Amino acid sequence: MPSFISNFKKRLRLPRMFFRTPSREEQIHGGPPLEFERPIPPAPWRGIAVSITIIVIAATAAWEWHARALGYAPTLNENDDLWTMARRRVQPESIVVIGDSRAWFDVDLDEFQKGLGERPVQLAAPGSTAWPVLEDLAKDETFHGTIICSFVPMIFFAPPGSPPMVRIEKCVKRFHNQTPAQRASEYLGIWLEDRVAFLKPDDLSLEGLLNELPIPNRPGARVPPRFPPYFNREDRERRARMWEKCADPNGALAKKIQQIWIPLFTPPPPPSYVPQDIFMAKMKDGIEKRFADVTAAVEKIRARGGKIVFVRFPNSGGLRELEDKLTPRQQNWDPLLQMTHAPGIYYSDFPELSGFNCPEWSHLTAGDSVEFSRRLVLHLREALKMPATQ
Amino acid sequence: MLFNSLTFVVFYVIVVTLFWTFRGWQLRKNLLVVASYIFYGAWNPPFAALLFSTTAMDFWLGRQIGKAQGQSAKKRWLVASVCMNLSMLGFFKYGNFLLQNFQWLLARVGIIYQPPHLDILLPVGISFYTFHSLSYTLDIYRGVLKPTRSLRDFILAVSFFPQLVAGPIVRAGDFLPQLEHPTRLKPNQFLWGVALMTLGLFEKIVLADTLLSGPADRIFGYAGPLVAMDSWAGVLAFAGQIFFDFAGYSICAIGTALTLGFHLKDNFRFPYAAIGFSDFWRRWHISLSTFLRDYLYIPLGGNQVRPFRAALNLVIVMFLGGLWHGAAWTFVVWGLLHGSYLVIERVLRIFFENKTWAGHPLTRVVAGFATYGAVCIAWVFFRASDFTIASRMLTGMFGGHPNGDMILTTRELLQIGIVTIGVIAMHWTMRDESFETAVMRLPAWAVTTIGAFMAFAIIFTQGTSNAFIYFQF
Repeated sequence: MPSFISNFKKRLRLPRMFFRTPSREEQIHGGPPLEFERPIPPAPWRGIAVSITIIVIAATAAWEWHARALGYAPTLNENDDLWTMARRRVQPESIVVIGDSRAWFDVDLDEFQKGLGERPVQLAAPGSTAWPVLEDLAKDETFHGTIICSFVPMIFFAPPGSPPMVRIEKCVKRFHNQTPAQRASEYLGIWLEDRVAFLKPDDLSLEGLLNELPIPNRPGARVPPRFPPYFNREDRERRARMWEKCADPNGALAKKIQQIWIPLFTPPPPPSYVPQDIFMAKMKDGIEKRFADVTAAVEKIRARGGKIVFVRFPNSGGLRELEDKLTPRQQNWDPLLQMTHAPGIYYSDFPELSGFNCPEWSHLTAGDSVEFSRRLVLHLREALKMPATQ
Repeated sequence: MLFNSLTFVVFYVIVVTLFWTFRGWQLRKNLLVVASYIFYGAWNPPFAALLFSTTAMDFWLGRQIGKAQGQSAKKRWLVASVCMNLSMLGFFKYGNFLLQNFQWLLARVGIIYQPPHLDILLPVGISFYTFHSLSYTLDIYRGVLKPTRSLRDFILAVSFFPQLVAGPIVRAGDFLPQLEHPTRLKPNQFLWGVALMTLGLFEKIVLADTLLSGPADRIFGYAGPLVAMDSWAGVLAFAGQIFFDFAGYSICAIGTALTLGFHLKDNFRFPYAAIGFSDFWRRWHISLSTFLRDYLYIPLGGNQVRPFRAALNLVIVMFLGGLWHGAAWTFVVWGLLHGSYLVIERVLRIFFENKTWAGHPLTRVVAGFATYGAVCIAWVFFRASDFTIASRMLTGMFGGHPNGDMILTTRELLQIGIVTIGVIAMHWTMRDESFETAVMRLPAWAVTTIGAFMAFAIIFTQGTSNAFIYFQF
């Protein structure tokens, strides 16, 4: 019976050199014979390579054209590296915006710079709680700047291991452990995302498209909630602006996102494997611990000369009703300010901040965010006891 | 630096262009040394110094073994090399694990000891490059390799960037001879190397990261009981993920090396079509299994000893193989399970090997699926972060949680099913041949279509640069 090698050689009709016995000179190291040299399947490789290159370039160009035809344009994507890039800009006396996506969408950095005298660093992130960033800044002994912290109770009190915690913890971890290779990839990624429209992991990637398949789930399945599709652009400073397509509250995209917020902001049923009373007690303990931790962190920053102000950004429609019902301000906003002795700005307390409508119920349009920021800055100056002349 | 990162694309293009532009062979080798250290240092620059120091020590110890007169003198130098390498590995990889177990043991006899937690950062790929380096002194001691005179060549053999951090474990004896003569640019070899890189990236980015890793992570991270379907789906997803992740890396490494004119051996040979566990280990992580066979199993006596001792040897080897993967008892149990599988297979062979039905195709298929099932059960311990999760998963898999939770979407279940059936079908189709032979049988238009599909799928998928699983080892 022919050996595997000889059989293989015959089938491939390889030149003899691939399986030759090595000469004495080649065995200078006394090593094994070179019969493991990899065979190359005989095929017209040059023609294949040229054909593949043409097909892939054509398919990529067609996909890019399709993406642009759908209204997508090149923009940066939110990720750990972009966040890390912003975090590196934090100086000891910086003004830093932290928290969830409302601060990410609704804060206009130009207006803040005009009003506060310094350009803030945007560290708020979509679907993220403020706590891990606040904790990180409190641990940074050099930091004694100003923190503008967005407050959405459902996200602010997210328990450890939940998506709002995990998402931002990854960013903080990346900031502390980013390798030179990851840093280089970050710059290359930005270069590409600035030029290519189809680089939208939420919508136009394989995973994004698979997520859109209308396949019903099993009854009773505890599947993760859906997240909103792409609806914003982002720049190098991490300033998010709502996509024009979403700015119409009666548009299909805004309506679709409105219906995604409702289940996302509705507390999931307790896990089946933990008795409900124990689960509720755990949640209560978790919220109390978060209050205590935040208070300690705020005191630590304040002891170094830093300042913090909490801000409740606008929401609208059904989401506002849901939040007001599930997380009334008396149960979380008021105790937070009381415990931390920090100033707070609740948008609905001020008529000039209340008249804004969020098309998809949770964020302001790009245009409204500029006007809102201009008005908010006056309140921030007052809350931070900044001199009126500046 | 990850193969599936933009940094690597730029790095690779620069290195391969310079490599084939440079005329001198010595210059090319110098380039590869510098490139390999940049590749490694891009993860954590100080650890490049550690890599260099262990390599230089083994180079010197190899020369001492080569020069030593008499077996006992050689053995002393070998022991020094083994101790140096294993103590380095032990400190970085097993330091905290050993301290925790020491603490547990003392607590059993009533002594309360609180060891300091060593804040040790594990150098990426330390298990791999330690074995690359160790193979050199071991082979010199065994008399199958002569010490090289060039420190630069040895540095390159240990740190050659395609295989540096996640294998295959390339022995110095396989690589050093390739440094003797200049490699020549052969267009077909180069293009085949690029094709292998594309295949490897497709396996990693599309199959492992996009289609399988999410459901596997959710299932193994879930704190509650799961119904049998979700438990099995999670395990099958992980079985596919780890194969595509690690085989993908190995294929990328082989392809990258080939574009530079170097030949690395196969690390996988359609393992999910294995019939029996010895067959599985001839197909899965071949460079590790042959390393353990040659440097541990055979020196222990292999199967040339009494049956009980041979079985014990197998278990010892697989125990250490499990521990090599990570400093946790779950890895040890995974290794011991495979050791037990191998012993059981030997016993079964004694009784059934000569039966006529043993060679029947149906028996072989049943045995193949039984092997796959047992391998999947072992994967539970490999993936679970502790025994509570492992035990909950196994209970779920065997119907212990009929009222457990269902947490996978129907779409994810379909994804896992399709990929699993696909990988098993592919492995069974190609189990008795090489990948190259399978490609050879295809017409050029089919190769073009598949290649274009994979390349476009990589672009289309927009990977997230997830690290390869085996980086942590």
